[in-house]
Amino acid sequence: MTDVAITSTSTRSDVVPHGRTRAIGVLMIIVGVFSAWAFGLGSVADAHSAFTFTPVNVSSAVPWSLGQLTVLTRPTNLVLALLMIGLGVEVYVRRPSAPLVRFSIVAALFLIALLFWACRTPGPAQVPFVNLTSVLIGSSAIAMVLIYGSLSGVMCERAGVVNIAIEGQFIAGAFFGSMIDSTTHSFLLAALVGALSGAALGWILAFLAIRYLSDQIIVGVVIVTMMSGLSSYLNLQILTPYPNLNVGNIASNIGVPLLDKIPIIGPTLFNESGFFYLMAVLVAAVSFALFKTRWGLRVRAVGEHPQAAESVGINVARTRYRNVVLGGTIAGVGGVAFMATQGQFQVGYTSGLGYVALAALIFGRWKPSGAVVASIIFGLSAYLVNALQSYNVPLSSEIIGMFPYIITIAVVAGLIGRVRPPAADGVPYRRD
Amino acid sequence: MRVELRGITKRFGSFTANDAIDLIVEPGQIHCLLGENGAGKSTLMNIVFGLMRADEGEILLDNQPVRFSNSGDAVRRGIGMVHQHFMLVPVFSVAENVVLGFEPTKSLGRLDRRRAHSEIRALSEKFGLEVDPEALVENLPVGLQQRVEILKALSHDAELLILDEPTAVLTPQEIDSLMDIMRSLADDGKSILFITHKLKEVRAVGDVITVIRQGKIIDSVPPTRSEGELASLMVGRDVNLKVTKEAVHAGDPVLELRDVVVRDDRGITVVKGVSLDVRSGEILAIAGVQGNGQTELVEAIAGLRRVESGTITLGGRDVTNRTPRQILDAGLGHVPEDRQRDGLVLSMSVEDNLVLNTSRRAPFARRGTRNLAAVTANAEELAQRFDVRTTSVKSPTGSLSGGNQQKVIVARELSRPLTCFIAAQPTRGLDVGSIEYVHRQIVEQRNGGLGVLIVSSELDEVLALGDRIAVLFDGGVMGVVEPTMSREEIGMLMAGVGPS
Repeated sequence: MTDVAITSTSTRSDVVPHGRTRAIGVLMIIVGVFSAWAFGLGSVADAHSAFTFTPVNVSSAVPWSLGQLTVLTRPTNLVLALLMIGLGVEVYVRRPSAPLVRFSIVAALFLIALLFWACRTPGPAQVPFVNLTSVLIGSSAIAMVLIYGSLSGVMCERAGVVNIAIEGQFIAGAFFGSMIDSTTHSFLLAALVGALSGAALGWILAFLAIRYLSDQIIVGVVIVTMMSGLSSYLNLQILTPYPNLNVGNIASNIGVPLLDKIPIIGPTLFNESGFFYLMAVLVAAVSFALFKTRWGLRVRAVGEHPQAAESVGINVARTRYRNVVLGGTIAGVGGVAFMATQGQFQVGYTSGLGYVALAALIFGRWKPSGAVVASIIFGLSAYLVNALQSYNVPLSSEIIGMFPYIITIAVVAGLIGRVRPPAADGVPYRRD
Repeated sequence: MRVELRGITKRFGSFTANDAIDLIVEPGQIHCLLGENGAGKSTLMNIVFGLMRADEGEILLDNQPVRFSNSGDAVRRGIGMVHQHFMLVPVFSVAENVVLGFEPTKSLGRLDRRRAHSEIRALSEKFGLEVDPEALVENLPVGLQQRVEILKALSHDAELLILDEPTAVLTPQEIDSLMDIMRSLADDGKSILFITHKLKEVRAVGDVITVIRQGKIIDSVPPTRSEGELASLMVGRDVNLKVTKEAVHAGDPVLELRDVVVRDDRGITVVKGVSLDVRSGEILAIAGVQGNGQTELVEAIAGLRRVESGTITLGGRDVTNRTPRQILDAGLGHVPEDRQRDGLVLSMSVEDNLVLNTSRRAPFARRGTRNLAAVTANAEELAQRFDVRTTSVKSPTGSLSGGNQQKVIVARELSRPLTCFIAAQPTRGLDVGSIEYVHRQIVEQRNGGLGVLIVSSELDEVLALGDRIAVLFDGGVMGVVEPTMSREEIGMLMAGVGPS
């Protein structure tokens, strides 16, 4: 009878009080005012920002050429800041039930203003400073990995298991992906093995969480810790002595006929590696399966109310096993995809992207489409962290690096409308 | 469908929850299973519904022995169950809940929502149970949610319908309408197993009443038996169902609420300007269907929830928005609604729970050090005085039965000097014996001159205990009435219909 004490968990509904919506409005206004001050007034009056659009490395393949765009930095950024303030005021006054979209727009505007400000030159610009297409290509590579990760999270958490081990599955996928690709020169085989390694880690999580009702957060952290230790050990024992096991090929791009000729969008979305297109297919497939099919209805029932699912004959444990293993598979492929954009495996080079993916999942409210939007914003800011180091910016890149986490905290704190995870998310199910 | 249980036995370790149970439900019969909490009713129903497996015995449907490996099997064989805690996914629509597990699909496993909606409309029409298939369950009132549960059972062509304590969450009017639904389903030839501990209901609707006590069938009797007889069968001894009270000698107000406004967790105003007085020497009972602001009102009085406006005066002192400790020290005794969550620390011992709000004071502590001998002595004395049945006062409180847990809270609160005593749902989930005991304690305190505030969703309890009855509806007081008012009239007030 001692377990009585544990079973009385409270089931309070987590709905956001009205005041919080106002708080997010205020936050948006503050961001706008800060942008006006730092990026608008912070530029000298005749400063210009210049952009080019022709991608650098594939320029020969594109049949278009866009000229350079030069704008006056101060007025442009002041307009952007005014837009942010306006959206903030609107949220404050009207208190919409779901200010997430407006908040995302403000986040994106902030990053754009930052970019304008970072690449400004005093006087009429001569040297083109920022290649916008390159920014988008670079960001989309990171966003792709984040989307793999958050799709994995969607699969697991919709069935009621928190998969905090995504980072570990990334590491496994990247490690084995590099080894297999280096030996076989086939990214297809690499993806398969990466998928298997992710699935295996998913199975460990599922086994401990479902059979032994372990705390899923702890199991997940243990898996990540184990994988970072193991990969570091194996790197030292295998990859370092045999460098030809870790050559680090980068997956080549496949252009979609015609579509890849569209200015800006073409090189960003339609001239990508197979991993990118697979990601797009997965987003559509997971969305469809979860919200349109019988399978998805049952999965969501298991994640929301496992007792109810069991009472109509749905096997809760089997559903959870299947989804967590599937989620691990997706994250494993994500790890290979990461390796295929970054080159040879290095210890610790996923640098917490698995956790950012988890944040994107929450920001996206456990929906594949939302996770895509969040991953794009996070990917953009993560890319800018690296890119801004090459500009002459008097701003530490670590500050910008905090950006994804700050918005995630705002989201998790419930500032942006109702954030409601599946009701049984992370709760072990005991069949009695 | 004719359902027969033969020698069903279920053990949990050394505890026998069901002991060789034989039971027959005839087609078109409403068969009531009457028993106290913990008598083994729910275990038995979970076995019939395939959620648990019996250690011995068999189930026969129309004289065919059956064996269920999960509840899906039971559903396919025509058994439907309306659970006490609804088996509904709040964020799903009515239709999604009803078809879950048996979904109509198109190609690619796609849900056929249109067909689901039309099936449910047809079902609603056939049984006269109207509900919008596209509505989200979480937005429906409890009575309608229950209707969805019934529809769900019927949608799988249930021939036997099990209703597990279905009336606990309903208004008297909703209970009447549920009884009508049960009658008409039985007239259609469905068999119904109705599980309850409420004597009035079994007599009103049952064809046969089977009484179960400590896992054994005691007797099957016709509904013509009196409530007193049924209660004795259920408890195993004579029970005094009537609370005997002396005439009320009310004094000055000890607790005064003036225009109290309180919000719930979602920020919605759920107590909308309540003004009430509790006088010394009287019991003021608050009646109302759950979710009409009672919970939040009590939390506000106890200092657990912010009062947005208005004042609360306790023994002449303004205690509005004081901390819980200040309010308890000012002489408030509080038995919370959810005793396991808010009233006790289940993993801690009985003796520690008995001093939860006095442990920092002499004689239980001195200069920051606990005096454990005094704590144990206090516990032993209170356990004796309040009849707390436990092997040791050092046992974890979670190991006690619900009734004894409640006695621990009552003992703790009443062992302090009080000006006012509040008990929210004081007998929820307790067996008849414990209910009798808790009621007697409450009346004794009132006779001793304490002001008592009772909140209960059980109308019988409100009528039995209250010297005055305040009916709460949608966060406001519909009226303060005498307990001599009829159930029907109070029921109207509970449903928000004022006296014409």
